[in-house]
Amino acid sequence: MKRGLITALAIAKKDLQTELRTKESINASASFALVILVLFSFAFDLGREELYAIAGGLLWLVFSFAGALIVNRSFARELPNDCLDVLIASPAPAWSIFLGKSVAAFFLLFIVELISLPVFGLFYNIHWTQNFPGLLLVMALATWGITVVGTAFSAVTVNIRLRELMLPVLLYPILIPLLIGAMGTTTALLQGEPMSGEAIASLRLLIGFDVIYTSLALYMIEFILIV
Amino acid sequence: MREKAIYLLAILAALVMIPNLKTVFMDLPDEAMQGAIYRIIFIHVPAAINAQIFFTVSLITSILFLVKKNFVWDSISVSCIEVGTMLVLVNLVTGSIWGRNQWGIWWAWDLRMTSQLMCFLLYLGYLLVRPAIAEPTQRATLSAFVAIFAYADIPLVLMAIRLPNVRTQHPGPVLETGTMAKEFHAPFGLGVLAVFLICTALILIRQHQETAQREIDSLRRELHSI
Amino acid sequence: MDITNLTFLFYGYSAAWIIITAFVFLLVSRGRRIDRELARLKSLVADKDNHPR
Repeated sequence: MKRGLITALAIAKKDLQTELRTKESINASASFALVILVLFSFAFDLGREELYAIAGGLLWLVFSFAGALIVNRSFARELPNDCLDVLIASPAPAWSIFLGKSVAAFFLLFIVELISLPVFGLFYNIHWTQNFPGLLLVMALATWGITVVGTAFSAVTVNIRLRELMLPVLLYPILIPLLIGAMGTTTALLQGEPMSGEAIASLRLLIGFDVIYTSLALYMIEFILIV
Repeated sequence: MREKAIYLLAILAALVMIPNLKTVFMDLPDEAMQGAIYRIIFIHVPAAINAQIFFTVSLITSILFLVKKNFVWDSISVSCIEVGTMLVLVNLVTGSIWGRNQWGIWWAWDLRMTSQLMCFLLYLGYLLVRPAIAEPTQRATLSAFVAIFAYADIPLVLMAIRLPNVRTQHPGPVLETGTMAKEFHAPFGLGVLAVFLICTALILIRQHQETAQREIDSLRRELHSI
Repeated sequence: MDITNLTFLFYGYSAAWIIITAFVFLLVSRGRRIDRELARLKSLVADKDNHPR
């Protein structure tokens, strides 16, 4: 158990290091997020009130698009030089490979979110700094949900045709409850409402989603990470 | 053997369904609030119930495949999911038509409908991804994994109209709360049975095709190796 | 009898019937394709067995 966690940490560190050296998926994902943000601002011509009402939805659409790009690379990164086969054949248990990759994807997506948040506030003139700790909490929970399910499905799609298309087809439907929860809470928090009532219920939904899918994925992953 | 079973199921289904349709359309009175349209419940709900039965079977066979690695389980999974997805589509479309008549709108984003649509999209994803995987063992394993993940939505669909603090536009459960009149119970149950028999026959046909498809795959490999 | 509601009842049952029939047609056409392919491959294998290189 402990050794597995250490291995997971090592794999996460390796993934983050290679990514921060090449910056290929984080650059693509961050610039994609920014482009989408700009495009959305042309799509709607909204007043201040309406803008605050859709802010959470807008933000999480952008984040989940960016997230799909990042988790797509999680396992695909290992394909050149047959690194994936070596990784699977190594004594590291499947769940720690998976956990490491999820953690790495989590941090990458979180960085992208932290980059796009100020840009979002700037373009749409939204005061995102009020309730910032609460916002961070929601972002952390929902981002973990996106990355853990995304990494699991990226392990499914890594070897198949049309990988980049198949991953979103599988990923987005399963994320619906998570996104509904995150969008609602984020909208409430951006409007300056305190964390209470419905927001707490949504937080519970996020935590439940994270717990269910994390344990399911950790348990199931050894069946599919096979050479 | 299999062909006989399929014909038998089809004949049984006809024997159950035709008298039942007569009861539903000719004998039962119109409902007080909805008029004639309530009769859609006799296809709408059996489709949903049977879809969930078949998805549950696919969950069990998917787990069995992962444990035993026997391709029979995989072929049952994919057949159940294909027929189940078709049934969810029937459920969604008939429900939408009922909603247009009763609510004046085709669709409402409440938890019941959203979770059922999510169920449809998840299993549609399964059916789309499956043919994209070329190697048979990998295809079966990855499909089983996706099927188990997709099943996590089913409890949500079931709970959606039973949770106390969720407001939903969809009518509540009518069976266990006793809001359905006694005389509707028998035709309703027979409707579920009829759909079950027809769809089991379809699943048997589909499962046979899946087995034949694997035979084709192995023959292709054999030809390459000669 | 409420005639509007009867119309929608007809739409509902027709839609269900169309979906199921379309599914059966897909099933049958795929079955035909698989049978043809299987027969073709079997004859190919038999040919190769009879005339080994």
